[in-house]
Amino acid sequence: MSRWLSIPILAAAVLLQATFVPQVRILGGGPDLVFLFVLAWSVHAPLDTCVVWAFVGGIMQDLLSAAPTGASVPGLVLLVFGMHQLKRQVYDISLVMLAGLALAGTLLQQIMLMIVLALSGFTVYPAENFSYIVVPTMAYNLVAIWPIYWFVRRIQKRYTRDGRVFVTRDA
Amino acid sequence: MNQGTGFRRNWRANRGLYLLVCLLIASGLIVASRAGLLSPVEGVIAVPFNAVSGVLNRIALTISNTISDIAEIQSLRQRNAELEEALALFQSELVELREIASDYQRLTDLLDYTTTARNQQTVAADVVGVDQLSLIRTITINRGARDGIAIGMPVVTGQGLVGRVMDVTANAARVLLITDQSSAVSARLQNSRVEGSVIGLTSGNLRMTYIPLNATVQEGDLALTSGLGGNFPPDIVIGQVTSVREVQSELYKEAEIRSLINFDTLEFVLVVTSFQPIDVSSFETANDRSP
Repeated sequence: MSRWLSIPILAAAVLLQATFVPQVRILGGGPDLVFLFVLAWSVHAPLDTCVVWAFVGGIMQDLLSAAPTGASVPGLVLLVFGMHQLKRQVYDISLVMLAGLALAGTLLQQIMLMIVLALSGFTVYPAENFSYIVVPTMAYNLVAIWPIYWFVRRIQKRYTRDGRVFVTRDA
Repeated sequence: MNQGTGFRRNWRANRGLYLLVCLLIASGLIVASRAGLLSPVEGVIAVPFNAVSGVLNRIALTISNTISDIAEIQSLRQRNAELEEALALFQSELVELREIASDYQRLTDLLDYTTTARNQQTVAADVVGVDQLSLIRTITINRGARDGIAIGMPVVTGQGLVGRVMDVTANAARVLLITDQSSAVSARLQNSRVEGSVIGLTSGNLRMTYIPLNATVQEGDLALTSGLGGNFPPDIVIGQVTSVREVQSELYKEAEIRSLINFDTLEFVLVVTSFQPIDVSSFETANDRSP
């Protein structure tokens, strides 16, 4: 069920990202909704489900972009694997830790994206992109992660078996 | 059956292997997409997305415009008064310019010369989406191959050059904006006729480079397409010079260009369908081979 939920939720995120987010950009950066949904979902979901979310989100995002299909996937995949590695090390992901993950994850996602775009033949200026796009995106994501996490937890609790289907630590 | 399930669980339990497989699949997707193997699938899946995106984009723009209109109402009143003053001035200039234009018209008729701009055929299109990724500046329009749109066609508005078509599906096309980091347009300054190249910057602004050091460039000069390289027709407005930078160590000047177009609130564009880009890549290859 949680895998199928990825399609409508991420489709809505992608559409909002393509229409409303450009209107609220500061400098060149805006909230990265797909990234935030994948991050928020991966806090409590098992790895297999999160990998599906990373692929579905990344591919949908690239369909409405000039980037080659799959360009956003490596960053999201590394994010969910990193998240699950972290969950093995700590007892629980606190909200403060989640904010840190949003910052570090945004940085990781944007760096991976720049690498993929550069390898795909796009012109990328890393230093300028960092100050003009990556930093504002990090700031936006830091703020937006809280409401999105709250929303995702409501869905996880409502649409999955008593909210207990998700395990914090993978076997 | 149980063995199969067990094997599946086992290889997934190895995190390193699992991650490697995922990254390989993602790399495969990227390579297949770049090679164009996924184009039919991408085109089909993008159709519903573009349709819904078009509606949402219109709503988003309306909301955004309403909010900014309310916020700017005071400054708009002041601006209106200034514009009315300027209008009176321009009207007198317009009469003068019309005279010049009619003279020009008679002279060009005598020379049997027809400007390319007059013969341009265009297709109007709605902007239905902006690129998902902040690192790339493209827009999606609701006209595609069925409407005669092809890769490389220039896209303009009444205010000037928007970009060129980089990707086409049956009923949609993706336009690389001139503000994208990958964009470079051969340009000419209207007054001094100096040539250079206008490139997109990360900030979304434009910069004209390769201007000779001895060239005279003034703030307010209009930058137009030069037509060199065969990618764009000549004499389309790109923008206005806002500042000029001269670095002693460099062999050329640079000028900051401000487009007259607000790329964040584009709603409609025109695709110039009568212009066929000229492919000069074969000459470049021949030059590369020559000793």
